[in-house]
Amino acid sequence: MELLQGSNYQEKHFMMQVSGDVQIIKEDNVTHSFCGLACVGWMYQKIKDSFFLILGTHTCAHFLQNALGMMIFAKPRFGIALMEEGDLSKNEPTLEEIIREIKADHNPSVIFLLSSCTPEVMKVDFKGLAHHLSTSDVPVLFVPASGLVYNFTQAEDSVLHALVPFCPVAPAGEKSVVFLGSVNDATADDLRAEAEELGIKVGGFLPESRFDKMPAIGPDTVLAPIQPYLSRVAVKLERERGARVLHSLFPFGPDGSRAFWEDLAREFGITLDLRDREKAAWEKIRSQTELLKDKKVFLTADTMMELPLARFLKSAGADVVECSSAYINKKFHARELEALAGVRVVEQPNFHRQLEDVTRIQPDLIVTSLMTANPFAGHGFVVKWSMEFMLMPIHSWSGVIPLANLFVSPLQRRSKLPAFDREVWLEGVMPSAE
Amino acid sequence: MRLAFWLYEGTALHGISRVTNSMKGVHTVYHAPQGDDYITATYSMLERTPDFPGLSISVVRGRDLAQGVSRLPGTLQQVDHHYHPDLTVIAPSCSTALLQEDLHQLAAHSGLPPEKVLVYALNPFRVSENEAADGLFTELVKRYAVAQEKTLLPSVNLLGFTSLGFHLRANITSLRRMLQTLGITVNVVAPWGAGIDDLKKLPAAWLNIAPYREIGLTAAEYLADRFAMPALYDAPIGVEPTLAWLRSVIEKLNITGAERGVPPITLPKLSAFSLDGLSAPSGVPWFARTADMESFSNKRAFVFGDATHTVALVKFLRDELGMKIIGAGTYMERHADWVRKELEGYLPGALIVTDRFQDVAKIIDDEMPDLVCGTQMERHSCRKLDVPCMVICPPTHIENHLLGYYPFFGFDGSDVIADRVYLSCKLGLEKHLIDFFGDAGLEYEENEVAPLPEVETFSENGHVASTIEVDKELVAEDGEMKWSDDAETMLKKVPFFVRKKVRKNTDAFARENGESIVTVEVFRKAKESLGG
Repeated sequence: MELLQGSNYQEKHFMMQVSGDVQIIKEDNVTHSFCGLACVGWMYQKIKDSFFLILGTHTCAHFLQNALGMMIFAKPRFGIALMEEGDLSKNEPTLEEIIREIKADHNPSVIFLLSSCTPEVMKVDFKGLAHHLSTSDVPVLFVPASGLVYNFTQAEDSVLHALVPFCPVAPAGEKSVVFLGSVNDATADDLRAEAEELGIKVGGFLPESRFDKMPAIGPDTVLAPIQPYLSRVAVKLERERGARVLHSLFPFGPDGSRAFWEDLAREFGITLDLRDREKAAWEKIRSQTELLKDKKVFLTADTMMELPLARFLKSAGADVVECSSAYINKKFHARELEALAGVRVVEQPNFHRQLEDVTRIQPDLIVTSLMTANPFAGHGFVVKWSMEFMLMPIHSWSGVIPLANLFVSPLQRRSKLPAFDREVWLEGVMPSAE
Repeated sequence: MRLAFWLYEGTALHGISRVTNSMKGVHTVYHAPQGDDYITATYSMLERTPDFPGLSISVVRGRDLAQGVSRLPGTLQQVDHHYHPDLTVIAPSCSTALLQEDLHQLAAHSGLPPEKVLVYALNPFRVSENEAADGLFTELVKRYAVAQEKTLLPSVNLLGFTSLGFHLRANITSLRRMLQTLGITVNVVAPWGAGIDDLKKLPAAWLNIAPYREIGLTAAEYLADRFAMPALYDAPIGVEPTLAWLRSVIEKLNITGAERGVPPITLPKLSAFSLDGLSAPSGVPWFARTADMESFSNKRAFVFGDATHTVALVKFLRDELGMKIIGAGTYMERHADWVRKELEGYLPGALIVTDRFQDVAKIIDDEMPDLVCGTQMERHSCRKLDVPCMVICPPTHIENHLLGYYPFFGFDGSDVIADRVYLSCKLGLEKHLIDFFGDAGLEYEENEVAPLPEVETFSENGHVASTIEVDKELVAEDGEMKWSDDAETMLKKVPFFVRKKVRKNTDAFARENGESIVTVEVFRKAKESLGG
């Protein structure tokens, strides 16, 4: 066994040349974030006739109920097939009874079977298991989501991966766009309307909100990724269906929206010049960008939305002092990386190192996880929960103002609150840290 | 293998971190995959920690397993370098426990001196949150507590107060206030806010106070064995238990005092315990005797929670507020025997012991109590049923981490609990008016339930089914009978907050009498038979 020693994140990290002068520093991934099971939080709500079954332990259940605050739902369409001590010695888990219970109570059109760390260590044959439990009317689809491999948003990629066989094959010659990534229905409507207005035929969304409504994808489908953490399913559809994947900026902010729509239109032989629209969009958020100008912003790595968010901040005039992300795909994120030229980009960062840098750099705003936001605030920094960017409609033109406001609101709020004497107001709040 | 949606107790790792996050200079390193880091968020979010919880994850990735790499020594070095803890506790997670690694050896590879490392490698499939917390705390007390001179004046340790505890800070404050009134010093509170040096000086106190059955009791027992320290295990919840607790504290300290020639402590005038020092220490005894509270004698209460609070609340509701206890239960199977013994004579039936919230929800649904004291999950179940519910114990939720002073312990706590009971239940005179006149203009809370598909199905089946027996079974399963429009109109005249209960009772009456539909006549008969 190789034993990694403490200073390894400094010695071992290495630089990768991407293109132009963008370099990615790679560290050891000692970071604060969630595992792939987190995606259940939004995916079960997005696909309304689904059930998400996690084969996991007490830990998985406790994570979902605590971190995602899910107990508020009466009859959630997700649950844990709870592995107890007696189950560890069994060769293969028997889920028939549980599947029966789910079907009786929830009548789902599809059951997603998510892996987690413990059965993964036990080398459970998930593919075989899912196949065995599937029936023609209710397929059971294996979704790799274990925290041994997947962070936070990455398991959405796995869910979409599993849905691919249920996307009909669009015949050659049927040219349309399929947007890749789960967004709420209002955002989806916006994107669809925008595309149609530009004369782009919309084939649908992967995922749609019903299992039987997944979009047709074929050789003349243009896949437009609208979330930055879906590289695997994009590659799969490129390979299996011959679909073209749009390589553009992600549609966040005036700059991202313009590039996204112009590039997408080009795929359909439409030449667009959205310079004026971009300008008008920047104009709409002028008061916000004025506040962001030259502000030092630090993104600690959490949801994997960091690259496009940092790029928007940079375009808005902010000084992005570090953009860290748990996973960076040099091809899928190429345009974002190019746009981030000159910014310190870190993959799989080391949180202890980040803490030291934050202390030294004293950023004006830190975009960070639920685990670290309040502690940073307690140290006097202005923080924004990174998770909020996943729960707000920040896509395309209609998302420009909400996006800008998400960054600006904590800055404004802090400036409105009275002076804060840490010594006085934090006394006794956390005795273990005093 | 079972399908779980929600669990009362957290994991062993959660229990471990509740102890270490409480403590100064103690860091936990989880040898675990990324996902286990969610535990950090429970502290940073629920307790709004203004500093980084002393928790680091030594990430185990699939690739590391494949390549036979362990990051643990490196993480330990990083943690030591950045945070300089006095002690690092190493804990495995569910998945890494299966790897059967030698954590001691891995820890040794970090080069950290053994006295700065504690491997707490329990079986996470067997041990849950509270047992792990109690076990680790005991382990730490064993490791550090040393024999020493007692303090000159009477002093106590408060043991078992732990991060994410239920109304933790307010409970500590309440106890401190009472002890201060008696002139007793608090030697150490642990683990909350305690460092290694505090654990060392535990034996200097004259008495250990360990009011929680779940955490701290085993450590107090160890200290009793090893250092002959007396201990008090009662929880001062309710006025009479608080008085008994005060007398016990005094009695136990006076024994030590007599040996040491220190003048005895006496119980002062009780007003000394009140917030202003001039009044009755609690409003509960008078409150319970007021005409207003008379209606509480018929109120049926159901209690479900951990061991400590379930016992305390059943006793409080029955003994001090004069309510009827229709049942109680606990999710703490380990302590079920103790709860049973404590509640002997209090419960009409057997104590319910389950960790499935669905079982508890079913009982509430069947019984439709006037008050439920439970966890956040019972509150949630009750909301669906329109049953009043107050939360009395962990697992805590953000709503249990409020800013104000709401203890459950002591005289102050009795007032808090009684207020909550009062605000949760329907009121006295107002209740009579509403019962008598029907709605009192309170229809706004009406929550119309759309007819369930099951009900529709039944009415169809009802026409085709040939035997009444089959009908009965179907009705019993589906739970709700079909009601005629007239009967529905009549039901609307019943106060909204008892309407569901009346519907249920009438359904049951109709079923027993072989009716297939609730008509006005059936409804009237039911009212007569069930006494309105």
